[in-house]
Amino acid sequence: MAVAQGTGLPEDSGRRDAQHNRARVRRQLQEALRDRIGEEDIIAAGPEKRIRVPVKSDRRYRFILDRGAQKGGGAAGPAAGTDPGEETYEVWLDMEEVEEALFQSLDLPRLKPKREIAADSSEIVFDDIERKGPLLDKKATLRENLLRAARLGEDDADWDRDDLRYLTWDEEPRPTTQAVVLLMMDVSASMSAGHKRIARLFFYWTVRFLRRRYTHVEVRFIAHTTQARETTEQEFFNRVESGGTLVSSAYELAQRLQREHYPATDWNVYVLHASDGENFLPDNDRVLDAVVGLMDVCALIGYLQIGARPGGMFMTGPQGKLAAHLRRRPVDGLVIAEVSDDRGIWPALKQFFARDDVEEAVVS
Amino acid sequence: MIAARSTYTAQDLQVVEQACIAHAHRLGLDPPEILYHLVPAETVYSVACRQVPGRYSHSDFGVQYERMKAAYDRGEGRIYEVIFNADPAHAYLLEGNSFVAQVLVIAHCLGHGDMFRHNPYFGPTDKDFPARVRSAAARIDRYYARHGRRVVEDFITACQAFAPHAPLDRLGRRYRAPEPVFEPQPYDELFPRETEQRRIDVDRARDEHRRGFPVEPERDILAFVAEHGHRLEDWQRDVISIVRAEQEYFAPQARTKVLNEALAVWAHQHILQALDLDSDAFVEAQALNAQVVCPRASDLNPYNLGIELLREIEMIARGDLDGLDDEERARFVGWAGAVDPGAKVIEVAHSHNDVSFIREYLTPRVCERSRLRAQAEPDTERVAREEFEQVRDTLVRHHTTLGVPVVEVVDGDGRGRGELWLEHRDEGGPGLDDEYARGTLRLLAGLWGKPAVVRTTGRLNGVARPIWYVAASADAEVEKLVDAPPR
Repeated sequence: MAVAQGTGLPEDSGRRDAQHNRARVRRQLQEALRDRIGEEDIIAAGPEKRIRVPVKSDRRYRFILDRGAQKGGGAAGPAAGTDPGEETYEVWLDMEEVEEALFQSLDLPRLKPKREIAADSSEIVFDDIERKGPLLDKKATLRENLLRAARLGEDDADWDRDDLRYLTWDEEPRPTTQAVVLLMMDVSASMSAGHKRIARLFFYWTVRFLRRRYTHVEVRFIAHTTQARETTEQEFFNRVESGGTLVSSAYELAQRLQREHYPATDWNVYVLHASDGENFLPDNDRVLDAVVGLMDVCALIGYLQIGARPGGMFMTGPQGKLAAHLRRRPVDGLVIAEVSDDRGIWPALKQFFARDDVEEAVVS
Repeated sequence: MIAARSTYTAQDLQVVEQACIAHAHRLGLDPPEILYHLVPAETVYSVACRQVPGRYSHSDFGVQYERMKAAYDRGEGRIYEVIFNADPAHAYLLEGNSFVAQVLVIAHCLGHGDMFRHNPYFGPTDKDFPARVRSAAARIDRYYARHGRRVVEDFITACQAFAPHAPLDRLGRRYRAPEPVFEPQPYDELFPRETEQRRIDVDRARDEHRRGFPVEPERDILAFVAEHGHRLEDWQRDVISIVRAEQEYFAPQARTKVLNEALAVWAHQHILQALDLDSDAFVEAQALNAQVVCPRASDLNPYNLGIELLREIEMIARGDLDGLDDEERARFVGWAGAVDPGAKVIEVAHSHNDVSFIREYLTPRVCERSRLRAQAEPDTERVAREEFEQVRDTLVRHHTTLGVPVVEVVDGDGRGRGELWLEHRDEGGPGLDDEYARGTLRLLAGLWGKPAVVRTTGRLNGVARPIWYVAASADAEVEKLVDAPPR
């Protein structure tokens, strides 16, 4: 039989080599993706979509003749083939790989173990060493052997069945790190289409990150104009509204939700608010009260200032009452990020979900 | 009657293969047994990116894979076939290609197979090669686990930079430069003083040889490094030997690429003519053939050059010498119009490499047909003698060196400090490329374990001047010295 269907074994060595190469160029991929995080087409097509990332390949050095002296060889030019040039190639990533690469450096900061123990959070831990068991522990076995040799007063002793030590497991209730993230978006008329776009992209990636990384995180969505109301995820990302702005409504709703459902003893509470910072001036006192109140029970309050507005409510300037207050009494756990275009989305995410080094970002 | 269709079974191909083999024999081809594997794209591209089935894993192959796969997904640059020279030979056919495409590929492979078996540059096919490839892959996997993938991959990459420098006749043997020995000559006793001097010279040469100084300039850089390198670990020596063994497989293919493709195209063209194709199938086969052999504007298409050279041989064999001048006529006088065209083609395929193939059979007519010109936009259709010679010399030069400059080890104990000194023999041509010389030299310093130096020529304001590059280590900045060597 000289023509055979298949080779017997499925051959995927090429894909495996490509995976190894992706690990090698991971940094390049991450940087390229961070630059493109604001492109709506990445997220528009949903999880099925694959995106193309150009990667610059390493120079493959070898001895070649002077490329400058080779030019002008003419159309006969096989000489042109000796110019290796700078080459790029494309790597196609599916959304899973995209998120993996992006979210690697993000974390929920200040996540603390909380009291309540959820039923599904016991963990199987191999932490017990026994004389019988399913899994030989080489290190423990070697230690026994050395101990026995020492007891015999010798440098080393032959292996004995008594030396063997096994790992067994324990079912350990693990204190859960329960967390809830309240996402609050300003959808009032002052938010331009561009601002809303940035807010939506920012929250999109936030939700993707939280869902991907944490199994125990609850996410709730709040949209506000002059009134705040809780919405579904679907509505949050798709509804267009307009009207004036009363920011306090959102923070007060957050306070109420927290009080009713997420006691600080049991929950890590995070509040993320995105707004252009334009608020009905007399409302700012109420915002301040709500923020300060929330501060006592929240692990982190993140405020995303969209568009540079020196008068924004958390900023300095005539409206900057909150900022003034914070200057007098710095609050640990309030993180403010500014974003003016798509390229700012990644730095903002990075600021809110920094790996437990929020201090730098905190207003002081 | 073969009809154009998109669905078929392995059995259908089997039947066609038998017919192809019969026609191949009638043409005078004598291919070895070839096993055809009908496989999905993933497999074809996996084999193609590693170039040899079962070869070790390396992320560079992954880059090739990304490239080929991206082109395939976009519907450009499909690979129709990959053939592997072993005993029996293995060919991988892409599932989902049309029936006619598969027939063309099967016929094409018979040409490659004949070359593997009968072209002298391939030598006898190594029966153990697939097993050695697998064993090397398993060893490299172990090195990955033990020393870290990154470290080992980088070492392999460094070795591959120097693999093409190994002269063909040296490959396949474990390298050991012969140690100089004193050889008595007749009447030595009559000239005691001279004999004594010779003995002293040989002793000195032997001492130098033992220190790592090559007696003759050494072109096989990797072999020299493996033999005399400082601080090479066992696994590193093993990797060097693996890379050199691969070179033994790749080098003959590189030296006969044009001829090999020429014979394969010739085989598929003649076999498809002989097969009983219906008109749709015939048109499809012609279109596929045209895609393969059409001249390209951007670079040289070896398929095109190859088949045009064979066509020229067939024309001359039939006595068609129109447009050839006296010089060519004189060259072909022995057989022009006097031999069977097919037999002559096969005789050429069984005796030449690319350099001799091009030098012997390239004519102005071939240049015209293949649009091989010295200028990008020539004034005339005709290729004049002078232009033809220019084109031929460029092609011959390229196929002689394959882009690998001649660089030799001249001292394995440079400055008495164990440095590796190389010289580029430029023979009046251009010197080494500055950026690549620096990068390559750093790799070499890494392999050698001590500083590496290469001497080449640079042209500064049109004046040729000697240049030395010095790499102190794999990571150090490379120094460049003009006119005077490092002291």
